[in-house]
Amino acid sequence: MIKQLSIFIQNEVGSVASITAVLKKHNINLRAIATFDTPQFAILRMIVDQPEKAKTLLIESGFAVTMSDAIAVELEDKPGVLHDVLQLIADAGIGINYIYSIVFRQKNVPLIIINTDNLDKTKQILIEKGYSVPDQEDVYL
Amino acid sequence: MIWAKEETLSRQELQELQLTRLKTTLKRVYEKVPAYRKKMDEAGVTCDDIKSLDDLPKLPFTVKRDMRDNYPFGMFTVPKKDLVRIHASSGTTGKPTVVGYTRNDMAMWTECVSRIACMGGATAEDVAQISFGYGMFTGALGLHYGLENIGASVIPVSSGNTQKQIMYMQDFGTTLLVATPSYALHIAEVARDMGLDPAKDLNVKKGLFGGEGMTEPMRNEMHRLWGKDFIATQNYGMSELIGPGVSGECLELCGMHINEDHFIPEIINPETGEVLPPGEKGELVITCITKEALPLIRYRTGDISRLFYEPCKCGRTTVRMENLSGRSDDMLIIRGVNVFPSQIEEVLLKIEEIGPHYEIVVDRVNYLDTMEIRVELADETLLDSYAMLGELEKRIKSNLRTVLGLDAVIKLVAPRSLRRFEGKARRVTDLRK
Repeated sequence: MIKQLSIFIQNEVGSVASITAVLKKHNINLRAIATFDTPQFAILRMIVDQPEKAKTLLIESGFAVTMSDAIAVELEDKPGVLHDVLQLIADAGIGINYIYSIVFRQKNVPLIIINTDNLDKTKQILIEKGYSVPDQEDVYL
Repeated sequence: MIWAKEETLSRQELQELQLTRLKTTLKRVYEKVPAYRKKMDEAGVTCDDIKSLDDLPKLPFTVKRDMRDNYPFGMFTVPKKDLVRIHASSGTTGKPTVVGYTRNDMAMWTECVSRIACMGGATAEDVAQISFGYGMFTGALGLHYGLENIGASVIPVSSGNTQKQIMYMQDFGTTLLVATPSYALHIAEVARDMGLDPAKDLNVKKGLFGGEGMTEPMRNEMHRLWGKDFIATQNYGMSELIGPGVSGECLELCGMHINEDHFIPEIINPETGEVLPPGEKGELVITCITKEALPLIRYRTGDISRLFYEPCKCGRTTVRMENLSGRSDDMLIIRGVNVFPSQIEEVLLKIEEIGPHYEIVVDRVNYLDTMEIRVELADETLLDSYAMLGELEKRIKSNLRTVLGLDAVIKLVAPRSLRRFEGKARRVTDLRK
């Protein structure tokens, strides 16, 4: 499993930039980022190379931040692979909370970040079916 | 410790004293203040009509408007040369309200504040940091003289420059803080930012709060931040009457003891002006019976309270006024419903997932009143899902609906994004005006 940060942002001009400014200043590398167009506030989720440090710095800068686990799954770059994963999770009776993807990796395999209502079980069934579910360190390669 | 023997008089002794003082004061204002002579003449009441305290309701009220109409010194009973101090309260509309003190008034003020300081647990051992703004506002200098009088070491730091406030607390060993409750919470918050735990790393054990009301949840918040043994009391006053020193909470925390040998309280129905029996809620009216320069008769404070005459466990026999449940002029009328910001505060402070600061914005959209309440998210674990944040919003909304009978729009905002106040908090913005 990997560590993701969830940050409270208000729907205001510059609010995401004020977060990336903190990361840039302290040379923290962003691996994935996701947010949606909600009317009032949003939860910005991200994967960074130094989650603990990023969390501390963001809290010091006045943001509400929480760190939690998510699952990263390596997928082949061909049609239908994401469906197979999602079907597997659905068949196990596990609900998906949200999905986003890694923005850039040096290895060429796409990586999808999934949060479900049962992370351990999700990880287990994916591994059983032969999927690669990298941990924190592997994601930063 | 009880500072003065006048705080423990029997009801009969007290009433005799009050009546003598009331009669003297009435004569004084009738003779010296044309505005009072006119008021009393118009009401058809003479000084001789006041034979007992029960006759007090025969006298006309004094309202803030009277002070403005007679700006600056028209309500004073003494020539300007007899004044030793002049204060003014900030006028949000028009001219400020000017108040003056003779040398005897200063002594009486100091005496009254000494009493309320002792009620709140202050002693000669205390190092008292006064974080009210000094200047035309009566709060700072009032507490200053009273605390000095009881022998405390007074630090007149004034409000603002919060980091320096904390430095003084550390270096001078401050034990007692005088501030508005909102500023006291802010100081604790800044101390935490500086890596200090106010409860452990500072020696502040008592707070004498005033300038604005402190609700019970806010007092709990004080204990959470400043430590569970922190003594948080509030006191009451207004510059027109004297400044701080009209009443204060004792350690029993069951209302604020009024210095009744100087101020006679009444509770009236704010609509009709009718005097209400003890225990009923209404507008507080105060008559000053010992002041020289500006003794106001039946002054309508605009504050909503109740009076309790039962003896207090602390040993004082003076009447207690219930902690304010709002000001009649703070009251918002939203879609025909009366709403006091203090009611909203009470609901919000009971919800742990949000911070103690809030803002209320009232507006009118398509002829319909709207109320938006902005609160800061304090529990970051809710960021796991929108559902949890949504549930929080819903819960705030539903708790408010239960208390107010109204729907408000709840806006969660980032921590520390709302304004902080060094003096009285201004949390309500009414865009309908």
